[in-house]
Amino acid sequence: MKNPVSLPGRILWHAFFWTYERATWQYDLMVIAILAFVWLTPPDWLQDPMATGDGPVGWILTRLNFER
Amino acid sequence: MTVTGLIGRICMFPMQLIINACVALRIHPNVLTFVGVLINIGAACALGLGKFVTAGFIMGVANIFDFIDGKVALEMKAVSVFGGFWDSVIDRFSDIALFIGLIYLYSERGRTDYVMITALAMMFAIMTSYTRARAESLITKCKVGFMERPERIVLFLIGAFTNRMAAVIWVILVLSVFTVADRIIYTYLELRDGRQVAA
Repeated sequence: MKNPVSLPGRILWHAFFWTYERATWQYDLMVIAILAFVWLTPPDWLQDPMATGDGPVGWILTRLNFER
Repeated sequence: MTVTGLIGRICMFPMQLIINACVALRIHPNVLTFVGVLINIGAACALGLGKFVTAGFIMGVANIFDFIDGKVALEMKAVSVFGGFWDSVIDRFSDIALFIGLIYLYSERGRTDYVMITALAMMFAIMTSYTRARAESLITKCKVGFMERPERIVLFLIGAFTNRMAAVIWVILVLSVFTVADRIIYTYLELRDGRQVAA
């Protein structure tokens, strides 16, 4: 399969088809993004049937609202 | 070295000890595979009862068996075509068992929305394996897409231990949809360019 020649095209191509191996910096970035979503998203936003508490983002938002 | 590479290396130390023990005890890799699925069914039951931390520990043990069976086969020189087939089939049962545990839990709690989301995640997780298996009967390799079994297992463990299973199910669903789409498009492009393996 031919890769696109331009740099943005190549980045998009590799990101969409995800041809990166494990233990590469691109894989690390993806893992960080996933963990950020899982741990930082307030459970209420997802209407999580099991999770308790607001999560870190919810906690910060609550504090900000309280300050006002 | 990357963070995930370092974590992998650290985890390999205890794994190697377990692998050596299994080789010394001459435990057949196919038996390890089967024990893995039985333990995973136990994890699914714990998930179904909403005991996430317990489920996390049981999944951890089950996946040690899943991880080491191939390595034990290599070290015992017991690699076989049937062993590869058996491992793939049993892995699908393990995957499905965990999803069914969650579906039971969410249906017990009257959460039809999450029953559907988990069922869809299960469908695309299975399709991820199927598309690659079918594609590799037509083209030489179809290893594209992020969300494969090891990623799913680690996500299940994170969801169980940190009680963020809903977010984990969303991640598995969305990235599995992308992975299945990747594999279909990749196979289409490879076949279009005439790179079909000889029958």
